[in-house]
Amino acid sequence: MSVNLEVTAEASKHLVKSREEAFEALFKSEYARVAGIANRVLADPHEAEDVAQEVFINFHRLHSASAQFAPAWLHRAAAHTALNRLRGRRRRERREQAQAPEEASRTVDPQRMLEVNEDRKTVRAALARLAPKPAAVLVLRASGLSYAEVAEALGVGTGQIGTLLRRAEAALRKEVTRGTSI
Amino acid sequence: MFDDPDALTSSDRRHYADCADCQARYAGMAEDARAVATLLAAPGLKVDAASAFERVQAAPAAKPRFGFTLPILRPASRTMFAGLAAAALLVVVVATAFANVLPLFQPKTVEAVPVQITDIQALSALGDYGTITWSTQPQPQVVLSAADAKSIAGFNAPVASYVPAGVSSTVTYAAMPKAVAVFTFDASKAAAAAAATGKPLPALPKGMDGAKLTVTAGPAILEVYGNLKQSANSSSQDINLPQLVIAESSAPVVTSTQVTAKQLENYVLSIPGISKELSAAIKAIGDPSSTLIIPIPIQYATSTSVTVQGVHGVAVGDNTGLGSAVIWIKGNVFVVAGPLKQSEVVKVADNLKS
Repeated sequence: MSVNLEVTAEASKHLVKSREEAFEALFKSEYARVAGIANRVLADPHEAEDVAQEVFINFHRLHSASAQFAPAWLHRAAAHTALNRLRGRRRRERREQAQAPEEASRTVDPQRMLEVNEDRKTVRAALARLAPKPAAVLVLRASGLSYAEVAEALGVGTGQIGTLLRRAEAALRKEVTRGTSI
Repeated sequence: MFDDPDALTSSDRRHYADCADCQARYAGMAEDARAVATLLAAPGLKVDAASAFERVQAAPAAKPRFGFTLPILRPASRTMFAGLAAAALLVVVVATAFANVLPLFQPKTVEAVPVQITDIQALSALGDYGTITWSTQPQPQVVLSAADAKSIAGFNAPVASYVPAGVSSTVTYAAMPKAVAVFTFDASKAAAAAAATGKPLPALPKGMDGAKLTVTAGPAILEVYGNLKQSANSSSQDINLPQLVIAESSAPVVTSTQVTAKQLENYVLSIPGISKELSAAIKAIGDPSSTLIIPIPIQYATSTSVTVQGVHGVAVGDNTGLGSAVIWIKGNVFVVAGPLKQSEVVKVADNLKS
């Protein structure tokens, strides 16, 4: 009996070790991408890394790192967690400063927008107002994921991604215009 | 077309060359795409995965919350693990179905309700309100053939007349005879649990102290498709994942003394932590005494209503092929699940002969 117990203990140690190793390998291969997705949403490298680590911790708590769907799960969670933070941030900012409306009727000039930090905020605010799926499609694609990877992360057919993406792009531009012309 | 111009067929290309409408639409879409690419530009990100990994390792939350990971996702899982997972699923279903309990509860149909992690945590607190004893222990066992499974369960093992391409023809059978658990409500235990957590818990309704719920689960048969006996040292660990799981079980039966269904439903739904969504979904079910509730964790899965073998069923998952399951009741409770598209799983279910 004692021999059996030792064998079992050894086997379970081996299992734990291989589980940890699989998680480390997954972490190292996907971390940059997951952080990149969060950064695309938040435009804040420090907070993006925070999100990426939170996503990995949640994943590790729930799933095995050798699950086939692990990368898709991580990409989706990165997009949604970052978008949730963005929405939370927006709400906080609105509470803190019921500020004066920005100057009226500006037209959208993408180049100019990126020059000013305030304008970057405007784009993120527009992103936060989009529905979750279009927002996620945009950031995943902009983070360099292929159509197939975006489809897998969001649980939709690859054939739908083109249409979803086009609609999401149009919606974001509309939101940005709306946000800057209040 | 904007992202991948080469994907255009030559006939589409000819059409595009002559169609002003298409050209105008393309110009609009391309402008949107270019503008959005600029808008979504983000500050540069330099990551150090190794030190980030150390930070994550140091975080106390990096351990599995319940001390284990979801069993179906562990590649090294063996047949018994799958059997235990099925038993655990049944326990969760029965625990969530507490709100349905009547002096005699015997489900005839299934219905999905949304649950959140907080709901599961709140419901798990139910265990502190009394004592569980097994009058017949669950004894799942792996058997060699469908005939052996039948001799244990007392009914024929279901036969899949359609199996999707790519699914192994190796089938492992497991069977479990009937198991009976008795849960006795204990007011003093409930009070002690409330004191220990520091949270006010609703008082047990009058007459509930000492009430007994008798839960009968099984007998059940489980069929696992896939070569599970592949060496654990194999370089491709995924081969050990079940490719298709079919289960048939007698519908769980719950009998109770002293408590009525209404009392129990009100009590369970008053536990702190139960979400409004779950509460509303349970209350919305037409005939709870004959409905088996399937809890769907809303953050991780979606469910749809499907028709299987002419009866109403609940399908979990989607058509991505990551994984899906369908559950229905036709006399017994049936489950078909696997890392397959939902449409494939439903097709297997529809062609199942019991």
